Amino acid sequence: MMHAYKQRTLLIGATLLLVATALFMLLWGQYPIDMATFGAYLQMKFTGAQTLDQATFSLIDNIIIEIRLPRVLLAILIGAALAISGAVFQAMFVNPLVSPGILGVLAGASFGAACGMLVSENWLVVQGMAFAFGFIAVGFAVLVGSMVSSSRSSVMLVLGGVISGSLFTSLLSVVKYVADPYSTLPAIVYWLMGSLSMAQLNEVLTVAVPIVLSILGMLFMSKYFDLLSLGDEEAKALGVNVKRIRIIAIVLATLASSLAVVMAGIIGWVGLIIPHIIRMAVGPSHRLLLPLSALFGGAFLLLADAVSRLALSVEIPIGILTSLIGIPIFIIVLKNARAAWN
Amino acid sequence: MELKPILEVGDLHFSYKKTPVLKGIDFTLYKGEVVSLLGPNGCGKSTLMRLMLKLLDSKRRIKLHGAFLESYSHKEVASHIAYIPQYHNVPFNYSVLEMVLMGRISKLGFFGMPTQTDRDKAHEALEKAGISELAKRPFGQLSGGQKQLVLLARALAQEVNLFFMDEPVNGLDYGNQIRLLQLIDTLAKEGYTFLKTTHYPDHALLVSSRVAVMNGGTIIADGAPDEVIRSSMIEEVYGIQADIITHGNYPRCVPVFKRP
Repeated sequence: MMHAYKQRTLLIGATLLLVATALFMLLWGQYPIDMATFGAYLQMKFTGAQTLDQATFSLIDNIIIEIRLPRVLLAILIGAALAISGAVFQAMFVNPLVSPGILGVLAGASFGAACGMLVSENWLVVQGMAFAFGFIAVGFAVLVGSMVSSSRSSVMLVLGGVISGSLFTSLLSVVKYVADPYSTLPAIVYWLMGSLSMAQLNEVLTVAVPIVLSILGMLFMSKYFDLLSLGDEEAKALGVNVKRIRIIAIVLATLASSLAVVMAGIIGWVGLIIPHIIRMAVGPSHRLLLPLSALFGGAFLLLADAVSRLALSVEIPIGILTSLIGIPIFIIVLKNARAAWN
Repeated sequence: MELKPILEVGDLHFSYKKTPVLKGIDFTLYKGEVVSLLGPNGCGKSTLMRLMLKLLDSKRRIKLHGAFLESYSHKEVASHIAYIPQYHNVPFNYSVLEMVLMGRISKLGFFGMPTQTDRDKAHEALEKAGISELAKRPFGQLSGGQKQLVLLARALAQEVNLFFMDEPVNGLDYGNQIRLLQLIDTLAKEGYTFLKTTHYPDHALLVSSRVAVMNGGTIIADGAPDEVIRSSMIEEVYGIQADIITHGNYPRCVPVFKRP
């Protein structure tokens, strides 16, 4: 275990890295902004001093506030939410191959969003249904898991998740099959590939509240996840109310990951590889693993989004990109990551 | 010695599904005792221990310090009893110090994080178990004997006086078995109370103040080690012959080996 000061240094370093990446992403793009102009812009924005001419100020204000800031914030929120949810589920199910979708939240939310697009043009309906069905799918998984024996509850939960995930994937296919092949179907397919391009500042700030709260909740519970990975019985004997911790953790992780789907569609691999890489680097203690996963998850998705916007003349859906980047990284780290778990 | 009951079990029955495992257990554990629970595989020893730890529902048949176990939360049970399971593998490779720190969880509030005091207590526990030098090693890379000592240190970090050990010497090599028994004996002399299950009548003779023998879901004998562990009991419970001999002033149990 690392000394406390070393842990603090790591956390501060990771936070600075994330802030630096975010700043870079605000300045870099089709219209690059240099540091001096950005400084002048900030001064004018917050003090009202006439450091830029009005036209330049409006242009930069528009680029930053309307386009880049919402995207940067959303990338950080979603990356952090998916990575920490993945780490929490991996601890809870004592299985490093688990990702946030294990209990069917992604399949459920996808089905909900597709249904929403089928019945309504209103984007709020789509988002509301994605969120609701994310929770319904997890609820169904928990129900199936608890209907079977309670002695190996985590194994039964995973089984429930597999059943729930398959069910909602099948239902999604039904929706796709009946959707209008010229308008709704392409919209569904494109949405499922994942994208941060829908981001608008007020919307991002609204979902930021529940996402940040659920991330904080998971961080505060980090000490319990070490014990849950010892198995239910030993955790109870050490004084943990396993059932309560598990329910709270499932609710928080489902909230964070379903909101991620609501805002950006399906973005895979972040929840699997980031905790792996962090665990490999700093060990399995969740007091350090969870905050670092959140910070690096945010930075990773920021970079992935930059590539998705700037690699080609057209935007590549970020969900495709995280898979394409994630898979080789995962293969490379898998051998070493193996050392962090038995 | 004034006998102060810590745990009282009265007419406890327990079934898994419809298979009865315990059929009317009466048992009291007193402060300062080292009690060995002896009995063949499947006699209900581990089930009884799990019931006493509130890991199974005892239906108001067990009292801890005079109050029914149901009135205690897991956290409260853990602030009275430390459970030392058989050593095992942990899926994530925590360091030894992290494993021992987990024993402090019942001392922390819901949002609390381990402080320097907790770390100091963990180091003290490691020292008491004689494994300070292992603190930074990954738990998964230790030998079975070292793992068992880490789990004992974790129990010490829990700062309770009552230890439950489930077949503590299981899987340990010959030397580590004896060293662990000696450590238990030392801790018992310091005032810790022990309840341990064991498959070895000889170990029960070496380190116990009382022996309870279980067979077929009931306690068939309960008393001083040398009164309970007799050739007739071994034959009845295990179906083999054994001699009880005296070696260095202490009774020992030596099984009779029949050559063809």
